[in-house]
Amino acid sequence: MPWDYSNKVMQLFRDAIAGKAGTHFGRIDVPDGEGHHGSMQCGDAMEFTFRVERTGDDPKADRIMEARYQTFGCTSAIASSEALCRMLEERKITPIQAISIQNADIVDYLEGLPPQKLHCSVMGAEALQAAVVDWARKRGVALADLGIDPSQLVEDEGRVVCRCFNLTEPYVRRKAKELNLRSIDDITSAIKAGGACTSCHHEPGGLQDILNDIWGVQPPAVSAPSIPLPEQVPSSPLGRNARTPYQMAKEIERVVEKIVRPRLQLEGGDIEIVEIRDKKVFCRLLGVCAACTGAQQTLSFVVEDSLRDNVDPEIEVIPVTV
Amino acid sequence: MTMNQTAIYLDNNATTRVAPEVLDAMLPFFKDQFYNPSSTYPEASNARDAIEKARESVARLVGAGARSEILFTSGATEGNNAALWGALRANPERRHVITTTVEHPAVLEVARDLQRHGYRVTFLPVDRAGRLNAADLLKAISPDTAIVSIMHGNNETGVMFAVGELARLVKRVDPKIVVHTDATQTVGKIPLSLSRDLASVDILTMSGHKLHAAKGVGAMFVRRGARWRPFLIGGHQERGRRAGTENVAGIVGMGRACELALDSFHEKDRLRSLQSRLEKSVKASIPNVYVNGEGAERLPNTSNFAFEYVEGEGILMALVDSGVLASSGSACTSGSLDPSHVLKAMDVPFTAAHGSLRISTSRYTSDAEIDRLIEILPVVIESLRRISPYWDTTTNAPRQGVDVFIQEKYR
Repeated sequence: MPWDYSNKVMQLFRDAIAGKAGTHFGRIDVPDGEGHHGSMQCGDAMEFTFRVERTGDDPKADRIMEARYQTFGCTSAIASSEALCRMLEERKITPIQAISIQNADIVDYLEGLPPQKLHCSVMGAEALQAAVVDWARKRGVALADLGIDPSQLVEDEGRVVCRCFNLTEPYVRRKAKELNLRSIDDITSAIKAGGACTSCHHEPGGLQDILNDIWGVQPPAVSAPSIPLPEQVPSSPLGRNARTPYQMAKEIERVVEKIVRPRLQLEGGDIEIVEIRDKKVFCRLLGVCAACTGAQQTLSFVVEDSLRDNVDPEIEVIPVTV
Repeated sequence: MTMNQTAIYLDNNATTRVAPEVLDAMLPFFKDQFYNPSSTYPEASNARDAIEKARESVARLVGAGARSEILFTSGATEGNNAALWGALRANPERRHVITTTVEHPAVLEVARDLQRHGYRVTFLPVDRAGRLNAADLLKAISPDTAIVSIMHGNNETGVMFAVGELARLVKRVDPKIVVHTDATQTVGKIPLSLSRDLASVDILTMSGHKLHAAKGVGAMFVRRGARWRPFLIGGHQERGRRAGTENVAGIVGMGRACELALDSFHEKDRLRSLQSRLEKSVKASIPNVYVNGEGAERLPNTSNFAFEYVEGEGILMALVDSGVLASSGSACTSGSLDPSHVLKAMDVPFTAAHGSLRISTSRYTSDAEIDRLIEILPVVIESLRRISPYWDTTTNAPRQGVDVFIQEKYR
């Protein structure tokens, strides 16, 4: 798929991988706030740290002076991380103010992101919020007193809706409301949910149900197409004395064990039965037999003759060499 | 994005440049030889003759017994659709299809569509090196199996399947089963013959633009007497087996491309040694890398790497900046959020599946270009790992405890 990145995204990515001065990858050794988002399994992950400057005794007056990231991800994930750090260092705002930075702000800073890459900016906003919650805990700031529910910011424990990316229902609901996600495509672009196996799209309690619940839309009634079952192939009636395929296979195996294998093993070889189909025996010669130029003869004289003499004169032995 | 005139093009499994000889062969058919080959006046006969000559060239490249067994198509996607649907329509009493989990979407998606139409489909798994197991195939065959479709060479990893031998086994179980192979990635790259090694294959599909012909043209081999019905109908062209006015220029170019490929098979030895040099060097200079499909028989032009703890799109982007064009099976490059179905089927660890890089060469690839890649790649991987939270630059190894952390959380 062609890339459709803004010049800003490209510039930030290039600066970062070139390790240019003024770029922000790295880690603050003793961070005042630390947050993670994503995982390697999901294809992108970010570790974010910041340092504050303290003024007086009021932790609420702390200002974020330095921000760093380590990011595993694509071009736009790295650019989003770099953008977040630059925004924070340019603004020198308090952590409380930083909570209001949304993924849309990161997108604006990047001069746009392709829709299927929006989740990269969401990752930045989430890691920042987690870091602010960490800062509040370390600095003894009760976010709840400020009208912010920290559990709403990061935890979102609950039933997993998207199993591929391990995203819970509370998280999907919160992001759908925050980011005004109105369709499954919107959800996938923003937070990846439903982007892999797609089985959570329309299952009960799945993404569409959550959307309907939030936005009050009723799904159009769709009757599932009926898929006809494959026709059963009637098995031919067996004569009284005919063996069933199971009995035939058992007898073939018995003769191979008792007669064929011991003979081949005498010469340092062996045999593996790959499959038995009616009277066709597919087998692989092993050990010295496999490399033997007379492998074909071995199969017909030793294996086929023994089976024909002892099981059924119509047996065919077919070599498998792959 | 930088448009680099002198870019090092290492994405030949995606498409190839049109050979100059091919373009020269095509041009007259855009100019004064524009006639419809079906027209009756003498002026049109030149186009007709040129198509037949091209058919002969394709037949020779794939070792077909008769020219009439070659049909021209718009490409391998059409060919694969036609192969599967055509075989099922010719065998209406059979409702089962066998294919593999690593096919190109032009087979895989058709197979999924067949499921929606009520057919049963068995997708054969592959092992860690991308190999099929003959026993799985034999066990999957049922009395109502209509078609077995197994690709010849994998577009992502270059892993080759022993299609000729597998086809022979299928025919021993049930000669009525149609055997199809998508040989898009092998035709023109390695010698093959539908009269010898692939003598049990009924239908083979291929594309023009993977062997230095133009896009929009392809061919399929349908063995005389194979149970198959035409897919595109609505005209008498190609003896009524593929309707639609012929893409004359494209077909002529494809014929020329096949002649050139037949004369260039010696190149595969050079490409094989470049492949081996590249892989050895990457493994020696970059830690935590897998060569996907290593240990399996592979195409001489394809190397698929998986670099742990970095993401493929970033690798590609950084390579573009160094003038190298390649591709990746990472989720981010595909527009989906899931990494390549091929690497997933091979159970490549997820620490690496996102960091895949495919290098695919052609006879136009120079030794110096591979040397340049060998020089750039370690720098690119290192620059991305420096940013990665899972990598410790000071020890040049995964960050301590990262394995435990990942395992606890996700395994």
